[in-house]
Amino acid sequence: MANQSILVVGGGISGITSAIEAAEMEVPVYLVEREPTLGGRVGQLRYYFPKLCPPTCGLELNYKRMKANPNLTIYTMTDVLEINGGPGNFKVKLRKRPRFVNDNCTACGECEKVCEGERVSDFDFGLGKTKAIYLPSPMAFPGKYVLDKNALAPGDLERIISACPYNAIDPDMKEEVFELEVGAIIWATGWKLYDATRLDNLGYGKYANVVTNMQVERMASPWGPTGGRILRPSDGEAPKRVAFVQCAGSRDENHLPYCSYICCLATLKHTLYLAEQSPETECLVFYIDIRTPGRYEKFLKRAQNEANINFIKGKVAKIEEDPATKDLIVTAEDTLSGKKVNERVNMVVLALGMQPSTSDNPIPGLTTDEYGFVVEKEGIIPVGCAKKPLDVMCSNESATGAVIKALQIIKSA
Amino acid sequence: MGEQVLKVDADLSAVKEIQSVGGETVKRCYQCATCSSVCPLSPDEAPFPRKQMILAQWGFREKLLSDPSIWLCHQCGDCTRYCPRNARPGDVFASLRLMVTKELVPFKFLNTFYNQPWGLPILVLISFIILFIFTALTFKGVPNFFDAKSFPYSDIYYKIGFLKLPARVVMIDIVFLSLAGFVIVVMANAVSKMWKTYLDYYNIPQAYRYSYGKIISSYLIPALKEIINHSRFEKCGSNSWRANPHKMLVFGFIILFITTGTVFILADIVGMHTPWNPLTHPVKWLGYIGGILLLYGIIGLISGRNKAELQNSLKTSYPDRFLLWLILFVGITGFAIVIFRSIPFLFNLTGVIYMIHLITVFLLFLAIPYSKFSHLVFRTTAVVFDLYYKDIQRKLKSSDLS
Repeated sequence: MANQSILVVGGGISGITSAIEAAEMEVPVYLVEREPTLGGRVGQLRYYFPKLCPPTCGLELNYKRMKANPNLTIYTMTDVLEINGGPGNFKVKLRKRPRFVNDNCTACGECEKVCEGERVSDFDFGLGKTKAIYLPSPMAFPGKYVLDKNALAPGDLERIISACPYNAIDPDMKEEVFELEVGAIIWATGWKLYDATRLDNLGYGKYANVVTNMQVERMASPWGPTGGRILRPSDGEAPKRVAFVQCAGSRDENHLPYCSYICCLATLKHTLYLAEQSPETECLVFYIDIRTPGRYEKFLKRAQNEANINFIKGKVAKIEEDPATKDLIVTAEDTLSGKKVNERVNMVVLALGMQPSTSDNPIPGLTTDEYGFVVEKEGIIPVGCAKKPLDVMCSNESATGAVIKALQIIKSA
Repeated sequence: MGEQVLKVDADLSAVKEIQSVGGETVKRCYQCATCSSVCPLSPDEAPFPRKQMILAQWGFREKLLSDPSIWLCHQCGDCTRYCPRNARPGDVFASLRLMVTKELVPFKFLNTFYNQPWGLPILVLISFIILFIFTALTFKGVPNFFDAKSFPYSDIYYKIGFLKLPARVVMIDIVFLSLAGFVIVVMANAVSKMWKTYLDYYNIPQAYRYSYGKIISSYLIPALKEIINHSRFEKCGSNSWRANPHKMLVFGFIILFITTGTVFILADIVGMHTPWNPLTHPVKWLGYIGGILLLYGIIGLISGRNKAELQNSLKTSYPDRFLLWLILFVGITGFAIVIFRSIPFLFNLTGVIYMIHLITVFLLFLAIPYSKFSHLVFRTTAVVFDLYYKDIQRKLKSSDLS
């Protein structure tokens, strides 16, 4: 008799969808997430496709279903170390990192008020800071604080413990390694942004006003580091002229040889954010081809109507900074006119591509292709961006489909 | 606009030709234009190499022929290093230059021999036969190549007017002066063809189509200055190491040219016959300096290329390797003559080395119209055109304003 439970690895939109769909079929489901909160990349966005909903829209509904479901067990801050066995009887070794905050936490925030130590927010892609004890996101699920012990200032720990009215701080929490036995695995570890510093001709990390597309999402988010305003990091001014560099790292054999599927749409979405902020903001979109898969063609028309976009066919391969104004001079060849353009802009957005989260930490028992995307093998079903670059809608379709496969395995093995 | 039909004829044979001489990656290009932006030499008004890549993909010989851009590239390889498709525009440009060279110069079979590995033995054989025939004629029968007193230092002399010339000098003068004449005639013809296509392609108004004399006096000198200073070459990014060895090589060639000219005048015309004292004669020393610069430059280029290949910014295909090693052999055999001649037990092998050296020099002369070495003439022409074109652009603009 096969093990009747399903393991879902990754708590982003795909993993959440798979986990709740499976749990509602009344099988035991374990959902494992590396970060302290579920929500994944969607949780970091201002709006997501296809209908430009804010992330609260899709995530909260699912969180409600999850809370109500007795078949679902969630582990946050947990990594998969290795996978043994086969379909029907997998043995998965996991490691849970200590949160230093126990289940008594109600997210009242008293600890945060007295904490002095700060840490750079990776949730905000380095644009902001949090206290050493912090809520991972305003809609964190589980809604509990996390303590980063390395960021504590002297005396912080005592102050935090005495400020907590619920006795929720537990500095002695230890890392745990444990094993789960499951019948099938759905792999939904999603993607990360390609490392922009590896594109040495585009100046990211060297010039203050060269930002990534995900940083734009965080700035545009109402609870992001700039309170929803897209601003130049150098002086906090709203940019009047913004260049978008498409295929930054994607479709490039020196970096990611594949098309990342969403960057063109993300850029079009960002032009709408800028138009919403100030209609006259000029957007220069430097592209090789604008790719709007399927019905997204109409989104291109919408952006052309609503935002002030100047499309230039030619990839940006050189960016220089004017040290006095921190403006940027962007060089490309306009291949339609056959002349080079050198445009001065206030800010550059790199439309960076997606890299699978599994690209640089191979997990024994998991098969990946040459780029790190997870390859399906019996009993282990990759979904969403762990499988290939996708938008939210297609990720959810793959996540739902994977549940059927997983159920077939545990029922038949 | 909508009703016009543009008929485009792709020339597959041109594409195949480009691919056969080092441009096999040309079809990988997807026209993103990264190359044109990263290139430190590409001008704003007529950027390269993106445009030439698509012309090459369609095999448009005529358009490539009339485009000076392919010669303005110094193959630093920045485009190749940053190319997202590994289409290697820098290497494709090298093959386009070979294609244009073949288009412009008659007796195309010689070009094929120069740029395909199987042609090498044929070339060696051709040059050996020519040298052998004229040796046999001037030495009055086949000399003993293993006896230096028989070849090259025989006691046969020719009296021509007031000149008294040894047999080897007569042989060399006959062979190499006629070879030089041939090279000059075909290259002058090719340059004139090239210049005309440039004028037509850029629609230069008749009033600004200057005579060759005026072009040479106004633009050739600045172009040569630029070339000798390597001012364009030194802007190249990835392969900046190449500029210095190449400069030394050019200096080496210039010094050797002066040396040869001096020897020709002093020995053949004034009658101060060689061999001269290898340790004390100033012209000998000039030759040694030239030879050392040549060897230093060529070895620097060969070893630098190996490094560049590891960085994936440059590829060395057969036509590149051929020219590099040919120049190396010219240098080595040149010094070998001096050494063999000075060491008694090697002395009798001087004739063999002498013959090998003449073969390499013969191949080097003939390489000017038929190999990558053509850049000596064609790149110079393109630089002259570039200076000329910029100048008349300025004049046209100022006449528009007034």
